[in-house]
Amino acid sequence: MELKIKAQAGSFESSDVLIMVEPQPTGVGRKIELESIVMQQFGDDLLNQIHRDLDALGIDDIRVIINDKGALPPTISARLETALKRSAGLQAGTLT
Amino acid sequence: MLENSDFRIEEPDLSSKYDVDLIRRFLSPLGFNFDASAVDYSIILYNLNDDIVGVGSFQGKVLKYLAVAPHFRETGAFAHIATYLTERVMMEHQQAFVFTKPENISRFVGLGYHHIASAEPLIAVLEFGYSNITKYCEYLKSIKKLNILGRTAAIVMNCNPFTLGHQYLVEKAADENELVYLFVVEEDKSTFSFVDRWNMIQAGVQHLSNVIMVKGGEYMVSEATFPNYFLKNESQDLVTQKQAELDITIFCKYIAPVLNINTRYVGTECYCSTTEQYNNALKHLLPKYDIELYEVTRKSIQLNDCKEWVSASKVREALAKGDTNRMEQFLPETTIQYLQNGLQERVKEKLEVCQLRH
Repeated sequence: MELKIKAQAGSFESSDVLIMVEPQPTGVGRKIELESIVMQQFGDDLLNQIHRDLDALGIDDIRVIINDKGALPPTISARLETALKRSAGLQAGTLT
Repeated sequence: MLENSDFRIEEPDLSSKYDVDLIRRFLSPLGFNFDASAVDYSIILYNLNDDIVGVGSFQGKVLKYLAVAPHFRETGAFAHIATYLTERVMMEHQQAFVFTKPENISRFVGLGYHHIASAEPLIAVLEFGYSNITKYCEYLKSIKKLNILGRTAAIVMNCNPFTLGHQYLVEKAADENELVYLFVVEEDKSTFSFVDRWNMIQAGVQHLSNVIMVKGGEYMVSEATFPNYFLKNESQDLVTQKQAELDITIFCKYIAPVLNINTRYVGTECYCSTTEQYNNALKHLLPKYDIELYEVTRKSIQLNDCKEWVSASKVREALAKGDTNRMEQFLPETTIQYLQNGLQERVKEKLEVCQLRH
């Protein structure tokens, strides 16, 4: 998947997560900025999950900003996938 | 959107009196004085009974007039409005700002916004997005000159355009300090664009080897984006003062420590009351952060036997009138040359348009 533009998915609402992605030049690697209200309990799990999802999609150079309000793992994966697809131009955002 | 089926977002037409009145009637009891000319875009959030749940707007990258009816404050309505507006802003900008009262900081922090600074008890500013003040500090670190033992000064300048007065101030600071960081206000709200101002300054200070030019970014004098609508009961003077405090607090808290700045230079002000208030606020606040303030008497020139202060507004005035002789008396050779390279016509047109508007 080739990322083209910055994009976001999700919301600020409770039990949701807001994920923003920004393409990075090749070789920069992954910059993940994670903030969560359950950082203490699940911060590492969350980070692992993000890395796994990015591995699965073969994305190595990216900046991901995650603003988590206690979303469940499937929600986080779904939001990330949507943000990435929007960034790659494979899926339109809700705003037109 | 299915996930938010309780609420429905509508985009009012801000050119319609009816729609604007709708927002105004909603906001008025909540203590806001809605000014449709001060926003670019608004939304109204309804529930399925067509009650107005809340409203929100933005201008540029600043969210404004976010309010939710008391009855709906337990719901996710506020987050819903903020999400929608933030996403909109982020389509064109790298970050979104919110100015609010300090008692509302926690509402925005709860969403994920980061608190930058407050001017108690009136104003706080928060930000969210791809870019933030940490990123700006990284930029500052990247241009920072290391191994400086002597005094380091900072000057913040708009230079609209770069005059002999500006040059005098920079030269004086460069003479009295080991290093000078010259911050150029980046906001493009002036007659001369940022690029033009930057080039004029660069040409005008190139003979000074210890001056480093710095982009002002979002955090130096963001007067134009600052909304004071939520302070309608406060006197204009107090608002201006708090606004200056906010700006200076950001400078002292984030910028000065990164660059080890220990002095700041300003020119004395004799025309603009806003700038004068700004300088007064500097006098109060800088000592708290161990930064010295040097107020340098504005440069004057001898014109037909009388002394006249150098001022960029006089230059703009002369430029608008086409009075090249008068204009060039206030400008260094470098600016004159820069202006002659085709820029002058462009600016003059702009000035004429500006005058028509007033």
